[in-house]
Amino acid sequence: MERLIITVAVLPLISALFIQLFAGQFGRSIVKVSVAVTTFGFLLSIFTLALALMGDAPAALSLAGDKGIILFDPLGTLLAAIIMGISLIVHLYSVRYMAEEAAYGQFFVLLDLMTAALLFMVVAGDLITLVISWYLVGVLLYFLLGQDTRSQTAYRFAFWTLITYRIGDLPLILAAALLFNAYDTWSLTTIFAEISANPYAHEVLGLPLTEVVAALIGLAAFARSAQFLLHTWLPYTMDGPTPVSALMHAGIVNAGGFLINRFAPVFIHSGDVLNVIFVVGLITAVFGSLLMLTQNDIKKALGYSTMGQMGFMIMECGIGAFSLAIYHMFAHGVFKGTMFLSAGGVINDARHNDGVPKDELYTFAVEKQPNQARQPWLLMAGITLIVPLVILVLAHLLIAEDYFQKQGAVVLLFFGWVTGAQLIFATYRMRSQNIWRLVGLSVLSLVVVVLGYVFISHAFDLFLYPDEAFRAQLYAAASFDLLRFDVLVVVTTLIIVFGWLMTYYSDQNGVRRTQTSRKMWLNFYALISREFYVSDIYTRLSRSILAISGRLNVWLRWL
Amino acid sequence: MSDTLLLILVGIFLPLFPMSMVFNAVIDKTSNTLLRSVIFVAWPLCGVALISNITVTQPIWLLPLVLLTSTLYAVRILTLRDVTQWTGFLATSLWALLWLAVIQETSIEMLYGYALSMSLPLMLLVTLSAGLEQRFGAAYTDLYGGLARTIPRFSGVLVVVIVAAVATPIFPSFFILFDIVVETISTEPAISAVLLLNWILWSWASARLIQGLIVGRASQVKILDMGMLTVGLYTFVLLGLAAGGLYMAGEIL
Repeated sequence: MERLIITVAVLPLISALFIQLFAGQFGRSIVKVSVAVTTFGFLLSIFTLALALMGDAPAALSLAGDKGIILFDPLGTLLAAIIMGISLIVHLYSVRYMAEEAAYGQFFVLLDLMTAALLFMVVAGDLITLVISWYLVGVLLYFLLGQDTRSQTAYRFAFWTLITYRIGDLPLILAAALLFNAYDTWSLTTIFAEISANPYAHEVLGLPLTEVVAALIGLAAFARSAQFLLHTWLPYTMDGPTPVSALMHAGIVNAGGFLINRFAPVFIHSGDVLNVIFVVGLITAVFGSLLMLTQNDIKKALGYSTMGQMGFMIMECGIGAFSLAIYHMFAHGVFKGTMFLSAGGVINDARHNDGVPKDELYTFAVEKQPNQARQPWLLMAGITLIVPLVILVLAHLLIAEDYFQKQGAVVLLFFGWVTGAQLIFATYRMRSQNIWRLVGLSVLSLVVVVLGYVFISHAFDLFLYPDEAFRAQLYAAASFDLLRFDVLVVVTTLIIVFGWLMTYYSDQNGVRRTQTSRKMWLNFYALISREFYVSDIYTRLSRSILAISGRLNVWLRWL
Repeated sequence: MSDTLLLILVGIFLPLFPMSMVFNAVIDKTSNTLLRSVIFVAWPLCGVALISNITVTQPIWLLPLVLLTSTLYAVRILTLRDVTQWTGFLATSLWALLWLAVIQETSIEMLYGYALSMSLPLMLLVTLSAGLEQRFGAAYTDLYGGLARTIPRFSGVLVVVIVAAVATPIFPSFFILFDIVVETISTEPAISAVLLLNWILWSWASARLIQGLIVGRASQVKILDMGMLTVGLYTFVLLGLAAGGLYMAGEIL
């Protein structure tokens, strides 16, 4: 089986080499080779995934001792199939979309190399292969984003990506070096087995090695998955070709979640690191969503939307729901990939129909229709708050009765509840002719989504981490102090409930702001519109370093 | 020859600031491309050859000076525009780190391998710089730009050579630096930290170099691109380097 998985990983490399060598002879039609090879690779990856699903035991193929190990395991096979699937779609899309590009063949070479790097990353069974592929993903993405070599802007923001990725490479290199020094092997399987046998056998700077390594892995994941303060590259890299944006938002940016999953045996013994990961993910989710809502540039809004989703994904890891993060990665990848790839179609449709929403003023003034009567706000607020909660609790009870004993599950429920409530609130604001029909449909779709989410994530759990004790250990490692957790949940719930009630009330009765609150609101808006000044600070910092460099060169001349 | 004098001499060939100025002065004064290329390969090898004769214990200031030299030149290349000078400064920043391998008591044979594999991409870059001077009269960033459209084969080779020079996998410098990190992380984490910082600075500088050369609109004037034979030659050397890198990974890691 491991030979099959290595074939899947090597196929894009062969395709890239073939295109590079024979592009001159065959012209543009040579990209068909790339599409054919990717199709074959995708089918092969599905076959290996099917074998893994049917219960074939994990195996490893070593190319050079404890280096160059290729793993056949549930995580690797699942992600290989996802990567090949997304890559195939991007290949098919690019055949026509990129047809007028001067470096048409070169684009497919880079696309194939990127696919290969991603595949090697997810099936790497040793630290060397993992570090190399992790590093190369950043380098290749830089060149893919800079496909349009006429655009200085594209390269400027591709550089932001490169430098953030390089910053993210360093913690992984450090973690690899520390693990090798401690266990004298590069093999992940051996290292994890030794950690499981004796988790606290080694220390670094007076701290348990597992905690230090987990923190470093977390940092590497933060940079790759655009967590807050390391996120600026994501919303700004929209000058790259659309297929690259799709690949990046659907696949590459998810690598952080993969890395944390790969090192799951380390995170079990990582002290409070998972709690920190949860907080970082939470902050990213909130800031990403906030910034998304306030953008007037739709592409940047999409970028911040991905940032928010990455925050959720990392947060899921932080509460011990590792397999859920993988499912989230897959679901978000499909969703965001579709959005990017259908962008052209949307623009085309917009040329025929402006799609301007018919608001109250429009329907009243243009269509001469009276305003729809509103339902009592308290009733609607009650439905908004209670219905999603009931659906979520019932759906989870179907899976396991002890589900609510896990703190991670409660946190997830919490977010599911807020999302569901938002859905119903959005329905209320639509002021439809038949509000009850719309609410009914919303609730129905929520039921379908929640049931799908709960059952599929449970299936992912069983596939990726079949050992129940291991799953329990992951949740235990992510747990908070019980009293603090309960207080936190109650306080947050009260704040949210109060927020929803206020929202309904003000939506019904209008908002009256005092002078002070208006000023505060404007300051807050200024802060958000400048994206919390993060990119401004980085720009200032990099200019300072360049100024120092220039000054040194003036002082020391050419010596 | 006294040990102190010998140490200074090695400090010239495995550049340590301020002795590093000698190498950069030599590169600046040498206009012949072939000679420049030979200097880029031979310079650190001379340093390694001399280092085997040092018997004195390494002085306490050596390690800070090594890190200072590497960082100083890594910072300086950020704003350099002359490609040859850029290559010389990068060489200084990289070769200074060979001292870390010396301190880690790496064998002389391995040191020769390190020096050679670090220098070969730099030598290729120097020849490409000469190619730019021949075509445009100067090898400067942000002067003409648009090489990717004007001379696509040349710029393709240039990009891969720059990538190889700044210690990107799977080229040898990557594994050498990785090995130094592995050797120092547990005992001297500060060394690893400085090395990794410099690694980022090289990446930053390389991106600025690439952006200043290949990005932009195509030249209106027809410029002769690199011949297929020359491309093949560069590819052969780069593939050899990549194979050497993988071999080195097997040997040293």
